[in-house]
Amino acid sequence: MHRLRYLLGLLTLLGAVLGALWLQRTLRNLDERPGVPLQVEFREARGLRPGALVRHRGVDVGAVRSVALSPDGDKAVVQVLLDPAATSNACVGSAFWIVTPRFGGLADGLSGLDTLVRDAYVAFATPSPRGTPLPPGSLIAGRERPPADAEAESLEPVRHGDLLMTLLVPENHGLRPGSPVVHRGVATGDVRSVALATDGSHVEVALRIAREYRATVTDKAVFWIARPQLSGALLSGFTVQDAASLLSPFVGYHAEPGVGVLVPDGHRAAAAASRPDFDLAPVPASVVKGAPTAAKAATAADGIVVVRVVYAATERDTFTPDDDIRRAGNGLLYVDRTGRAVVITARSLVDGSYTESDGYGAPEIADEQIKVVLPGGGVLRAGRVWVDSDDSDLAALVLDGAPPDLVGTAPDRLAFAVDLVAPQAPGVVRLVGPDGAPLAPIPVGGTTPQPEALGGVFVGDGKARSVVVADDRAAVTDGAASLVNFVLLQRVPAELRPQGL
Amino acid sequence: MTDAAITFAGFGLAHRRAGREETLLHGVDLALPTHGFYAFVGASGGGKSSVLRLLAGLVEPREPAPRVAGDLVVLGHSFAADFPPALRRDVAAILQDEGLLDERSPRANVELALRLADRSPLLAAGLLAQVGLEHAPDETARLSGGMRKRLAVARALASSPRLLLCDEPTAGLDPAGARTIAALLRQAHDQDLQRTTLVVTHDLPAFAGKLDGVLVLDRARRTLRLEGPAYEPNAADTATAPGEGPVRASEALHGLRTLLLQAAGFGESLLEAVRRLPPFDLGEAARATWRACVEPAPFVALGGGVLGGLATFFALQNNPLHGGMESALLTGTGKVALAVLVPLLAGFFFCARVVAGATARLGAMKRSNQIAALQTMGARPADLLLTPMVWAMAIGMPVVTFAACVAASFAAMAAAAAASGTTAGGFVHAWLAALTGRDAVVVVGKAALSGLLVAVASWHLGVGPKRSSADVGAAVDRAIVAAMAIVLAVHAIATFAEYA
Repeated sequence: MHRLRYLLGLLTLLGAVLGALWLQRTLRNLDERPGVPLQVEFREARGLRPGALVRHRGVDVGAVRSVALSPDGDKAVVQVLLDPAATSNACVGSAFWIVTPRFGGLADGLSGLDTLVRDAYVAFATPSPRGTPLPPGSLIAGRERPPADAEAESLEPVRHGDLLMTLLVPENHGLRPGSPVVHRGVATGDVRSVALATDGSHVEVALRIAREYRATVTDKAVFWIARPQLSGALLSGFTVQDAASLLSPFVGYHAEPGVGVLVPDGHRAAAAASRPDFDLAPVPASVVKGAPTAAKAATAADGIVVVRVVYAATERDTFTPDDDIRRAGNGLLYVDRTGRAVVITARSLVDGSYTESDGYGAPEIADEQIKVVLPGGGVLRAGRVWVDSDDSDLAALVLDGAPPDLVGTAPDRLAFAVDLVAPQAPGVVRLVGPDGAPLAPIPVGGTTPQPEALGGVFVGDGKARSVVVADDRAAVTDGAASLVNFVLLQRVPAELRPQGL
Repeated sequence: MTDAAITFAGFGLAHRRAGREETLLHGVDLALPTHGFYAFVGASGGGKSSVLRLLAGLVEPREPAPRVAGDLVVLGHSFAADFPPALRRDVAAILQDEGLLDERSPRANVELALRLADRSPLLAAGLLAQVGLEHAPDETARLSGGMRKRLAVARALASSPRLLLCDEPTAGLDPAGARTIAALLRQAHDQDLQRTTLVVTHDLPAFAGKLDGVLVLDRARRTLRLEGPAYEPNAADTATAPGEGPVRASEALHGLRTLLLQAAGFGESLLEAVRRLPPFDLGEAARATWRACVEPAPFVALGGGVLGGLATFFALQNNPLHGGMESALLTGTGKVALAVLVPLLAGFFFCARVVAGATARLGAMKRSNQIAALQTMGARPADLLLTPMVWAMAIGMPVVTFAACVAASFAAMAAAAAASGTTAGGFVHAWLAALTGRDAVVVVGKAALSGLLVAVASWHLGVGPKRSSADVGAAVDRAIVAAMAIVLAVHAIATFAEYA
């Protein structure tokens, strides 16, 4: 009479058993989340606990499963489980270390302060170039302290136009990557790296000065490493200078305005042993009145503005590694009839598809970037708007976001008409340095390739008449060209010329 | 076939008890002619009620069914396996204890029976008048014994049955009252020329002159026989059985059967809870839900408030940082209180408050045959009783949990102000900082799921076999423990799966 009910009871019990099995599996799976298990050995676990995080670039990418002594008892073995998404970042050569509050003395400063109020965690860095991902179960020797390049990775990225220079100091007084570079109390840049010179005679400190402060560094600037310093005498009282360096040492520099010339990338300067004695001049009265400063005074006196043109691109190759193209040269800057800031330069300088060749057809040029360094040091992006279709190695750029008060070559200093003055006639080629500052004019002539002469402006009879182009566009390297090949401005189309020319 | 209402052909019936089988009837060959009004007599414990329950389709589903041999044909339907559903309309039963629904008025009892028989509820007045209850009180619980019997007759007639079964309709009545009921039954019998009536009774004098025959259960011979209306009980018929039947079933088998039937009952309760979710009686479901939301809310909110306030006060007072990071402490306390502790506590309180009541009510209904009466009327008891419970608990539990969380938050705000002078704005900001919409979904999900399961457990234990009041009490005890275990398990699993 109850036959069906017995079956239903059997099914219910079966369902209950299956449910219990499923639950047990689910709960066990919670414990066995997917991921890559790794073992990292440390000399000291530094308070690391199971459940602590594993972080990469500050992002949680895993957890510590257990902390135990190694069988021989002289290491702490930390089992970590990396999330599947992060496994490609942990590769052969990755450095693992434990982040805890750490006072490294004056030389290293404080780090890991966030772990004062939270648990210690494991961090790791991805080497560059990236190695093969660590296989599950790998045993890695952890580091006792963060690798230096891990700190370098946390630095501000270098932007195009930033000044990169080297400071030579007798001794590193606690500078670290990231230590600030200070001018008149304003941080204008940072320390990128600190390294002992190869011969051990001094320490080389690589500095980055942000491009907007580039003009504050001249060849007459004095650098020093700021340390707290007590000066004064009993009667006059004492002064503590650079008190801020108590917390972290920094690089200071000072340059008198209007003294010296701007320095190019790669500039080397020696630091003074201590803060030099200088008196800051009072703020100039003209500034107080709000009069414009001579920021544009950097234009050459003859009214012809030559600018630095930097080109970067990648040529993609199918079977061989991609080639980076990096070129720097010159260009002639003026404002055209519609108010655009136009730079006339050599096409072989700013067009990778013109100079590169590929055995399999047209070269594939990617990631093109054209930057123009103005005489004042400012850097603007530029776009290529015209190339001479007649294969005469001439190109026109238009600056992106040019300031309204930009000073270009005066129209009466431009010779677009058919030119009777041959390039071989007396005249000079005007070139600029990496910072956009004019270099000494070079007389025309000579077939030896000149580095970074491409786009140089030939000035004859007080007027800009032509630009230096490549001898052989397929052999252009580093913007080199000999100063005998010119293309006349005459080829520039009328809509790219100033009004009335 | 039409001349026999009930035919026994080689019929046998045996009780299955733990370790043994007790044979009640053996090889019965008998036919009860249609349109007879029969009394059914025999010694107590001889199986009269068992036969009657079998005929009424009231075999207890949670216990091993009686062993049935041979064939039993009722109104042309054979009882080969289970009670034929087609018979439900044609068979009505008046059980001992009447099985009246005390929560409804007498009129509503009859109306429900009419509605279940697909007849107009307007007929209720006529039926009540027929049994002399046109001026009955509005509360069924206040009816006298005789009135309850009469109401039961009216309700049984609502479906206009072809076979009317009565179990001791005159028990507990004085001779005059007994005769009145007997006359009423005979009168109801005569209304319908198709109707056959079988009355189990020990009180043949009350039915004197009204019977067409007497069905006698001969305990000694374990058989049935039909006597004339003038039958007088004799000693042989009331003698006890000469011995137990043969041992047929092992104790283990009986235990296994009971276990399987219990499991089947639980599985069926779960299925019913889902299949019967659309309310049969929307008003009843809404009323039950409203009660489950409102009645326990103050009590549960008080508990939540005490928990939230104490947890916050001591967290701040025992601050390991001695006056710092208060907001972080509040954030942690808020998360653990609102997402884990208060919902769990609210679940426990809800079980104690609502599940106990519901199970006790169901147990009493089962014990007093109300559930069996609903079955004989053709109703699915789950429709009328389980569905409102499922709605009430699955909605009431989250609502009450929400009330507890709100109370806990206010209490915690007061505690934080007392312990460390936290302002209201700062408190709210810190208290809710770590809570997300997902937490709310998890909390509501935990409460709703445990509410549903608790309702099923309460139903399952409430409508299980009830032989005594002690069974009802035991069911309530078990229901509270089971409900709390369910709440604990659901919360533990969900919390662990979500946050671990």
